[in-house]
Amino acid sequence: MNIKIDSEGAFGSAVVELEPGEKFVSEAGAMYRASSNVDIEVVSRKKEGQGFFGGIAAGLRAMMAGETYHLSSYQAGRGPGEVGLAPTHQGEVRKVEIGSETWICSGGSYLGSSAGIELDTQYQGLTKGMFSKEGLVFVKASGQGDLLVNGFGRISEVAVDNGVTIDNGHLIAFTDGLEYEIGKAGGGWISSMMSGEGLVMKFRGQGKILVQSHDPSRLGGALGPLLPPRKG
Amino acid sequence: MKYDIISAPSYSLVEMSLNEGESVIVEPGSMTWMDTTVKPKTEMKGGLFAGLKRRMGGESFFLNTYTAEGGSGTIGIAPGYSGDIIVKELNNETLYMERGAYLCHVGNIETSATWEGFRGFFAEGMLGLRVSGTGLLFFGSYGDVQEVDVQGSYTVDNGYAVAWESSLDYSIGRSGRKIRSFLFGDQLICNYHGNGKLWVQTRSPRNLAAWVHPFRPVQRDNK
Repeated sequence: MNIKIDSEGAFGSAVVELEPGEKFVSEAGAMYRASSNVDIEVVSRKKEGQGFFGGIAAGLRAMMAGETYHLSSYQAGRGPGEVGLAPTHQGEVRKVEIGSETWICSGGSYLGSSAGIELDTQYQGLTKGMFSKEGLVFVKASGQGDLLVNGFGRISEVAVDNGVTIDNGHLIAFTDGLEYEIGKAGGGWISSMMSGEGLVMKFRGQGKILVQSHDPSRLGGALGPLLPPRKG
Repeated sequence: MKYDIISAPSYSLVEMSLNEGESVIVEPGSMTWMDTTVKPKTEMKGGLFAGLKRRMGGESFFLNTYTAEGGSGTIGIAPGYSGDIIVKELNNETLYMERGAYLCHVGNIETSATWEGFRGFFAEGMLGLRVSGTGLLFFGSYGDVQEVDVQGSYTVDNGYAVAWESSLDYSIGRSGRKIRSFLFGDQLICNYHGNGKLWVQTRSPRNLAAWVHPFRPVQRDNK
């Protein structure tokens, strides 16, 4: 398997080249092109041996993460094949190697992963989930292989040593082992709210974080009021 | 005529220098700036029927011709979307194109709406654009545009095909074959057949609109 990432300009995308029989998984609907010998299936997010109800429960959790209920799976049939994946927003696509490190991905940042990666949903807890813009459930990617994430704008890697504060809405993924809490940006509640930063995520421990330069919910917040109201 | 595509691939714009007497035909609304020596002329190219056919293909009824008069001049041309622009030299050839992909051309090229080569594009509007002749064609779309050399067959998600050579044919299918995929609203895909070039875009305006939708204010019933 070989992943070619087009990172020139504002519209990142990835073309995954598959050997015969190789598999890749993506967020449902992320495929925009594929060679015709690639079989495309829709799979629900469930662990092996979980059974039908386990699958449904896992699907519900994924739904709460603000993510599509389903994943798409791609398998090259006879001969090598390719599948192209792209996110909705302008911004970069980045490959993250999973192996010695396990990564945890925020709700909308997961784009795809190779077959050797096990995906598991991680419930963030009600307080954290309610107050963060990243959703109630994160996606944990463990095992061995490549994970693809997408960001709104540029993606940068931040090394955490003594703790880092990330603005709410900018988190893409972080390495397993890091702990975070939702807190106020400034010294007091009033100055935090006045600064316009509101709530932030405070990370502790040793590891790495991927952040996106822009917060998609601010674009949504700017565009939404300009559109005619929708039926409730 | 000389041209340069600047700010590619994200915010591409065609910067074209015309010698005296040379013309470029531009989709209305796409002229960004021009020298005073460049004179616009709006016409219904090919007459009323051709204009109507173009209109049905998602392009404008009128086309604007910009000609350098009384000296050379430069014109800037950009589409409504932020994205890539592709230049294709046509030599008595035909391309099929999605609605809205056409930007401008130089030479003897005709654009008209067609059902030909467009089947079952429910999500895209029924008609596409047929572009044929000899000259230099500029087209583009939202996002990056990637060229795919189709040998045999290739799959594209519905709404991501920008243009393709007339040697290619396509059919609409569903991605999954199991009943499950029907139940869970699986995506419609286009299967292209034959040998020829195909251009795909990497972003979809429809997906962006669907994403913005929940941010719209909610209408209250004042009963």
